[in-house]
Amino acid sequence: MTIKSSVTSTAFSRRGFLGFAAAAASAPLLAACGGGSASQSGGGSGVIKFWDMPWATPAYNDAAKKIAEGYAPASGNLKASYQTIQWNNFYQTFSSAIASKTGPAVSTGGGFQAFQFEQQGQIAYADKVVEELKKNGMYDDFLPGVLDPFKSDKGYVAVPWQLDMRVFWYRKSLFEKAGVALPTDWPTLLEAGKALKKVGAFGFTTGSGAGNNYGNHSMIMMMVNNGGGVFNKDGELDVMNDRNVEAIEFVSELVSNGIVDPAAVSYTTDNMSAQWKDKKAGFGLFQVNVPQRVGDTSGDLLVADPITGPHGDKATIVFPNNIMMYTNTPSQASSEAFLVAYLGQLKQLWQQKLMSALPVFKSITELPEFANDPNNVKIVKEWQPIAKTFASQGNTLNANLAVLDGGQALNQFTQTILTGKTDAKSALQTFQSGLQSVLKK
Amino acid sequence: MALTTAQTGLSRARRGVAPGGPGKPANRKSKLSSQTRKTFFWLLLPSVVLLVLIHGYPLVYAGVQATHDGSLIETGEFVGLENFANVLASDAFWKAARFTLLFTIVGVFGSWLLGLGLALLLRTKIPAGGLFKILLLLPWVVPIVVSSTAWNWLVGTPDSLVPSIFRNLGLGTPLFLADPTLAAITVMVFKVWISFPFMMMMTSAALASVDTTVYEAASMDGASRWQQFSQITLPLIARSTYISWILMTIFCVNDFPTIYLLTGGGPVDATTSLVVLAYRTVFQDFQTGPGVAIAFLMTITLVVVSVMLYRQIRKSSVE
Repeated sequence: MTIKSSVTSTAFSRRGFLGFAAAAASAPLLAACGGGSASQSGGGSGVIKFWDMPWATPAYNDAAKKIAEGYAPASGNLKASYQTIQWNNFYQTFSSAIASKTGPAVSTGGGFQAFQFEQQGQIAYADKVVEELKKNGMYDDFLPGVLDPFKSDKGYVAVPWQLDMRVFWYRKSLFEKAGVALPTDWPTLLEAGKALKKVGAFGFTTGSGAGNNYGNHSMIMMMVNNGGGVFNKDGELDVMNDRNVEAIEFVSELVSNGIVDPAAVSYTTDNMSAQWKDKKAGFGLFQVNVPQRVGDTSGDLLVADPITGPHGDKATIVFPNNIMMYTNTPSQASSEAFLVAYLGQLKQLWQQKLMSALPVFKSITELPEFANDPNNVKIVKEWQPIAKTFASQGNTLNANLAVLDGGQALNQFTQTILTGKTDAKSALQTFQSGLQSVLKK
Repeated sequence: MALTTAQTGLSRARRGVAPGGPGKPANRKSKLSSQTRKTFFWLLLPSVVLLVLIHGYPLVYAGVQATHDGSLIETGEFVGLENFANVLASDAFWKAARFTLLFTIVGVFGSWLLGLGLALLLRTKIPAGGLFKILLLLPWVVPIVVSSTAWNWLVGTPDSLVPSIFRNLGLGTPLFLADPTLAAITVMVFKVWISFPFMMMMTSAALASVDTTVYEAASMDGASRWQQFSQITLPLIARSTYISWILMTIFCVNDFPTIYLLTGGGPVDATTSLVVLAYRTVFQDFQTGPGVAIAFLMTITLVVVSVMLYRQIRKSSVE
């Protein structure tokens, strides 16, 4: 027997409901599309708008704001304003602002953002800035090789200001407890991992949960550490090379031996930090300043030596974060003058110990506030010289790398390997197909 | 005989007719004068214009983006329906569609069953009922970013509280977010947990409007508790139930934060819904056209499903 409601229908209008349903149902469209029409140049109010990301604690943004707003331009140039842009949906924030001509004149941002916006004709080349840096001596102060990746056929797309380096860290007490030496190559990495497992720790700490890219970086790092990588010297996609297969087979071996935490596939960066703090992580790839990040400055967390791949290669990956200028500016000369001046004041950020990244200038690496930390010194001396960008064997950065970094193909590939569900070749094949479908030719 | 009497009584009860009352409720028809209608029209016009601007413009703009090979800044080259064809031919889309369907079914009916049960429980006189009501509302009230972080603490690592309990009970150490199947189940349970208070409130409101004399009449006619529930309570709250189902369907299909904050769509796309796929396609793969095409297909499907369900409600009312 079917029973029907006897409530009358007058309390509920069809049009009203359909209107509500349509409005609610269109939410994904509202979320997925952007755009706008208001118009204001990157400093329409007569200042150079500088947008910066929260690169560290709020104290960093306060200090950066002080530098930007304390900038006193030479006669004829404009002053600068400072605004912090959150990482959440930052690309949408920038895109919407640029499309509506309300974007910045100068900004920091995602590692490959400058190349994405260059493709769309929104970037002002920094050649004059580089010329100025040559004149004032700062050009020669750059660490080796940090500026070159930004030089395109048309000019410098951006200027680097900090290096987000990936290096191996280890917990000294766990290695002592396990009675094993620090790894120097892949076989000893495997051996150390097995020994650490016996004392309840993991020898290849990583994670690829929501918003965590360290797992992705570990995969690419191991490829590059074996002389491989996602792109060849000509910048062409080259996922299926033998070195990559060998590297991923090795990572799979680490997974199958329980050297990688079986739950790592779902670990957020907070979960990873907790693993390091709780002495579950014995060895693994992480960023600069791990002791400060995880809250253990006892001296037990240390930077390891770079390890050598089976063919004698030694490499890691680095993300050279950069400052870019946009064509939408009230004064290109003012943008350039501000950028040169800002780069000249960067040392303050390291002097105040606000940064979780390496500086790009040698003089800053020599500051006592930086050089007093032996971990920093080791990274600069041993890791920075062997660091390669996501361009792998290629020399210059490009917009495709933004698709690789944080894109679905790499994330899915990493998670597939970390769950141990498939073999290296199949996973790499799927990875290559996924990348091919989304990369711009 | 007793059953016949009970059925007759229930039939009267369902129609809202007390013992001895008239057979049919009088038809009420609103009659508005022409002048009143005009006034209503002018009063509503600003809201309608605003709605069209807020929802109509993105809809049109999304249509443009979905048929072009562009970016968030440039419209790009017109490609017709190519983005739709590519999306519909991709395995990722259908995998996400299957997960969205399952997530929605579990989300809607799981939260409804729990909400209904608790609403019925709170209708009885229990000590500190008001306090319970407030506590039960918490999952709905607490921001999802907070509750997802809390759930991550509870289940995220092998040493989290829930896996530890399983381990101590000798049930192994389930990896709730690392195993694809368990992650899908966890996300759905999380959705039910944050959604049941809404269903509970909707059902509580509907139950409050049911006249208790109907139950008295049915009871006098010998109806059992189950008969009263299945043949009086459920039918009398059916309209509210259908509406809550429709709303929850929309909430589930459009739900981005629940999934994204807890699993990011992983592991290995096991919890990637269509809205997560659309987001990732646009903002991680920078494929604006295909991403918006996914969102467009979702919207069309949702509108069609909503209209069909609404017609079902109207049909049931007429019957």
